[in-house]
Amino acid sequence: MDVMFALTVIKESKPKAIVSAANIKGDLYIQIKKEDLLEFAQFLKTDPRLEFDMLSDLFGADYPKRPERIEVIYNFYSIKNNFRVFIKVNSKADETEYPSLTSLYNSANWFEREVYDMFGLKFKNHPDLKRILNPDDWDGHPLLKDYPLRKRPEPEEIEMDAPGYIEPEKI
Amino acid sequence: MLPDISNPKKFNNNYNNITNQTMFEYKDFLIETDKFALNIGPSHPATHGVLRVLVKLDGETVVNAEPIIGYLHTSMEKYAEFKTYHQAETITDRMDYVSGASNNLGYILAVEKLCGVKAPKRAEYVRVILAELTRISSHLVWLATHAVDLGALTEFLYCFRERELILDIIETVTGARMTPSFYRVGGLAMDVNKDFFDKTRSFIKIFPDKISEYESLLTKNKIWLERTKNLGIISAEDAVNFALTGPSLRGSGVKYDVRKANPYSSYEDFDFEIPTGETGDVYDRYLVRIEEMRQSLKIISQAIENVPEGEYLSYDEYPAYVIPPKRRALTTMEGMISLFKYGMEGIKPPKGEAYVSIENPRGELGFYIISDGSAFPYRMRVRPPSFCNISALNTMAKGHLVADLIAIMGSIDILLGEVDR
Repeated sequence: MDVMFALTVIKESKPKAIVSAANIKGDLYIQIKKEDLLEFAQFLKTDPRLEFDMLSDLFGADYPKRPERIEVIYNFYSIKNNFRVFIKVNSKADETEYPSLTSLYNSANWFEREVYDMFGLKFKNHPDLKRILNPDDWDGHPLLKDYPLRKRPEPEEIEMDAPGYIEPEKI
Repeated sequence: MLPDISNPKKFNNNYNNITNQTMFEYKDFLIETDKFALNIGPSHPATHGVLRVLVKLDGETVVNAEPIIGYLHTSMEKYAEFKTYHQAETITDRMDYVSGASNNLGYILAVEKLCGVKAPKRAEYVRVILAELTRISSHLVWLATHAVDLGALTEFLYCFRERELILDIIETVTGARMTPSFYRVGGLAMDVNKDFFDKTRSFIKIFPDKISEYESLLTKNKIWLERTKNLGIISAEDAVNFALTGPSLRGSGVKYDVRKANPYSSYEDFDFEIPTGETGDVYDRYLVRIEEMRQSLKIISQAIENVPEGEYLSYDEYPAYVIPPKRRALTTMEGMISLFKYGMEGIKPPKGEAYVSIENPRGELGFYIISDGSAFPYRMRVRPPSFCNISALNTMAKGHLVADLIAIMGSIDILLGEVDR
């Protein structure tokens, strides 16, 4: 399957959802609206001409200057057609009703937890939305651009009663 | 007090009394059980790192196994945003630290795609050899530890014996055993020498017998079969839905290998097979990996005899992005200036995005790099194969015993450095 064929099929069936589409170095990138995401993914998975049966990757990127600063990028792959498509969706950082793809792809479960952990998007209808890589009580979302690289907890945040803590005078 | 046997009447009475008072019924032997939780890890030798599995048990049967990750999280994706493109390469081999050369390859190919650079044929062949050697060494580590989990200690010693030979070869070429960072955009850091060819050739000669030796211990061993057959089965549809890749996917019978599907770095030149399993159990994944070692050896033996002569860096074609070979940097003025600029400023790929995926020993390793035109990657996303593979653990382990859970975890072949990044 080539890029032009896939783009024509998608454009024919879902003309309203697509904001823009590009073919960069042989990869197909499609920007769509957030509201249409679930329906669009359903179409990609079930259409017999496309059959994107694997959600290979899902991650975010932060562009602080944009009005909708988080760009979520989906990487769908079709094993049968050996074809890959990148779907991009823009969203606000404090979004709480972002559509979840867990009903379609099992792999979305952990990927969405990672996006929540790193960028703070809250996915609607996610079965188990909690932090995955950072500790549960972590403050902030590390992959946002305004999060510093070396962040240490403030001295008053450190628990003095924790085992192993020795007061500075006693050392 | 013992019953008085001399007086039968008394004895009978006594006996009746005892039975009436303390006779146990069947229901008294049933202990009231409830489901209970068991925490395996994060520091447990069978979890191959710092994986923690929260297992809910009914007796000894697994009801639910939830992997909890993040104990080795070092935020490498964030860290890469503060490094130049070549500095960031050194992060990548620390993710999957038993197959460093393979991870470097994925990263460098992504940067090359971003810049539009192509490495010369000689460099591509050497890259293939190193990547395949790494695949064998990674599979050896997997086989060794997996076998130890199931009680076969000899296997461990055999595997590490041959792994040492491979690390020796990698050290000869790159100077490092586990974290080579030997590739540069547009080629290699330096040319390979005669020692590399000699050592690799002698390794190719001895290794086929060694694989048979490993197999003679396990493949038809009755204990091994009973511990691995029909265990941790995952169907092809489930495997694809969970985005499993690599041997875990091929064990379920899906013939997907990035090396064949989207050949990179001259893989189309070599003749090799993709082994697949049938049922998708632990034993199938074992067989797939064993056969993969043979196929990797086949690729190496084709590549090592056909490494073309010529440059190892494509500096002449793409002077803006590629480092000059050391010899030219030291003898020509223009080479010296170019090397200096390269070291001080780094390379600046054009604005854009690129995704490249390669076949890591564990599955499809993808690098998605966003460039904003500066010397630092704006965003580096790693598509970690182990991360997806371990997320399917619950589906595989449900309904099996705790001891089998260890076998299943071993067969997925996870590496926590890469899961957590």
